[in-house]
Amino acid sequence: MQRQAYIISHCSISNNTVYKNGEQLFADAAENIQQFLLKVYRHLEIDYPKFYKMDNLSKLGFLASEYLLKHVPVVHKQEEISIVLTNAHASLDTDVKYFHTTETGASPALFVYTLPNIVIGEICIRNKFKGENAFFVFEKFNAAFTAQYVTDLFSSSNTKLCLCGWVDILDETYTAVLFLVSAHATDNTLLFNEENMMRIFKSVQA
Amino acid sequence: MSSKIYIAGIGAITAIGNNVAQCLHALENEKAGMHKATYLKTVHATEIPVAEVKAGNEELGLLAGMNSKISRTALLSMIAAKEALDDAAIGNIQSLRAGFISANTVGGIDKTENYFRNIFKEQHAGDLHDIVNHECGRITELVADKLNLHAYTTTISTACSSSANSIMLAARLIKAGMLDLAVAGGVDALTKFTLNGFNTLLILDNDWCKPFDEHRNGLNLGEGAGYVVLVSEKLANHSAREIYCELKGYANANDAYHQTASSPDGKGSYLAMQQALQKAGLQPADIDYINLHGTGTHNNDLAEGTAIQRLFNAPYPKMSSTKSFTGHTLGASGGVEAVFAALAIRHKLIYPNLRLQTPIPEFPFAAEKKLLKNQVVDHVLSNSFGFGGNCSSLIFSKL
Repeated sequence: MQRQAYIISHCSISNNTVYKNGEQLFADAAENIQQFLLKVYRHLEIDYPKFYKMDNLSKLGFLASEYLLKHVPVVHKQEEISIVLTNAHASLDTDVKYFHTTETGASPALFVYTLPNIVIGEICIRNKFKGENAFFVFEKFNAAFTAQYVTDLFSSSNTKLCLCGWVDILDETYTAVLFLVSAHATDNTLLFNEENMMRIFKSVQA
Repeated sequence: MSSKIYIAGIGAITAIGNNVAQCLHALENEKAGMHKATYLKTVHATEIPVAEVKAGNEELGLLAGMNSKISRTALLSMIAAKEALDDAAIGNIQSLRAGFISANTVGGIDKTENYFRNIFKEQHAGDLHDIVNHECGRITELVADKLNLHAYTTTISTACSSSANSIMLAARLIKAGMLDLAVAGGVDALTKFTLNGFNTLLILDNDWCKPFDEHRNGLNLGEGAGYVVLVSEKLANHSAREIYCELKGYANANDAYHQTASSPDGKGSYLAMQQALQKAGLQPADIDYINLHGTGTHNNDLAEGTAIQRLFNAPYPKMSSTKSFTGHTLGASGGVEAVFAALAIRHKLIYPNLRLQTPIPEFPFAAEKKLLKNQVVDHVLSNSFGFGGNCSSLIFSKL
C-alpha cells in the first residue's frame, strides 16, 4: 500500500534567482556562479563557515535546503528525515577542477568533493539528519522516478520528512529544485506526485 | 534463533603471510610486511612503501583454484574465505543455510584501471573481460559461487569499516534465525586508484608507518583478505573443532563530521566502542586488549586515542595497531583484525605495535612495543573506522 505524501514547500535556484514556493526571494546579477552563491549565502543571514569550504554542487544544494529548512521547527526524529537527490552531471564540475590540480599538485580539498552524494552529507551534517539517503544520476529531471522512490520511502521505511529533487551544476550552468515532502498534509500543501513536481520544475526552467 | 554467535573458523592472507599460520608466525616474530611495490605497477613505487601480499596473480590463481586473469581482489578473497571454511570443518554445508557476507572497496578496479589506460590510446584496445568484474558485488559473487554459499550473499562497502560491518550483519542474520552459518569479512587488493587517492589526501607515510607514535606521519596501504566463520549456538555445540571465541558485542556509529577526517574528539569511535560494550554486557574495565584502528595518520590516532581516553579509565587495556605489520588493508582490515583477535584469544597474545618510539604525550596510555605472551586475553575490542565517519567496533570474548 503506497502512502500519499505532500509537498510542503519547494525552492529553486537558477538563472541568478531564488524562488521559494513560487515567490521570488532573491535575484542578483552576479558575474559568475561563485559570486552568486556567496551572495545567496549572505542573503540567508546564516553563520555556517563550513559553507566556504564546499564545492559548488554542495553550496548549491546546501543553500536551497537552507531556504526550506531554516524556519521549519523539527518535530521529527533525526532518523525519520531522509534525503533523495538527483542530477545529470554527478560531481563532474568538481572532478574536472580536481583533475586540473593533479598537474601541479593534487588538491585534497577538492578531492573530497569528487562524489555527487557529498552534497547530501553536507546537508545531513548541517541538520543532523540520519534517515535514508540516496543520489541518482539521470540525463534530465526524472519526476516519475523521484516520485516513485520517495513515495516508497514513506511507505516502507520510517521516513516522515524527505528533502528531494534536483541539484545539477557544470561550469556556469546550474539548477537546483528541491522539494520538502511530508507524510502529513498541512495548509497549502500539494500532493506529492510526478505531475506537481514536473509542473514546479518546468516553471523554474521557463 | 541463536542468542550467541561463535567464531568457528578463520582465514587470512596479508603482506605478512598467505595463510593464518604464516600471519601468526610473523606477528610473533615482529616481521612487518611493507616493502617497495613490486606487483602493483605504480610511478610511486620508489617513494611510497606498501604492504603487498607476496605473490603474483599466477600464484594466487593456483592457491585460489581460479583463473589468474580475473581480479586480484577475487583471488585474495577466495583464498582467505576458503581457508576459513576449511578451518571450521563444518562438514555437509549444503544442508545448512550458509551465507557469504563479504566487504570490499575496490572491486575489480585493479583490472579496470589498466583497461582504461589502453582505450584512451586506442578505442578498441583492451580485453572486455577486464571490466566485467569491476563492481564490488561481482567479487563477492565470484567467490560465493566457487564456495557454494548461496543462502544469502551480499557485499558491504563502507570504506575502512567495511568488513567489520559485514561481520556485524552476518551476526545479526544468524541471531535473527535467517542463517545457520556465515563466512564474513572482507578483501581489498592494492590498486593505483587507492594509492593515488590516499596520496592526494596527503596521508601516506613515505617510511614504514608508526601508528600511535607522537611522530607518526601517515599510513601505509596494504592488501589482503580476512574472514571468520560465524555460527549459531546450535552449530557451535556440534562442532568437531574447538571454537575460537564468541562475538559478544558489535556496534556501528557515525561521526557526521567530514568526508574523510574523523572528528577531533572521536565522537563516532566513542559511540561505536561504548555501544559495542553495552551490547556485550561488559564494562570498559573488562577489555584486556584493544586492536586499534591505528592507521598512523595524525587525525585517526588522535581521534581514536581521545575516544579511548574518554571511555576507559586507568589501568588502561593493552593496545596495539597490527596495521604496523599489514599496512592498512582498507575493506579487508576489519576481517583481518577479527582473525588476529581470535588468534590473540586462543594463543594468549598481545601483539606489538611495531616501530613505536615516542607514545603520544596527550594520552595517559601507550601501545605495546613488544610481543606479550601468556597474557589474560578474555575480551578483545577491535576497532575499524572508515571515511565518511563510519565507525564500527567488535568485541570478541573467550568461551
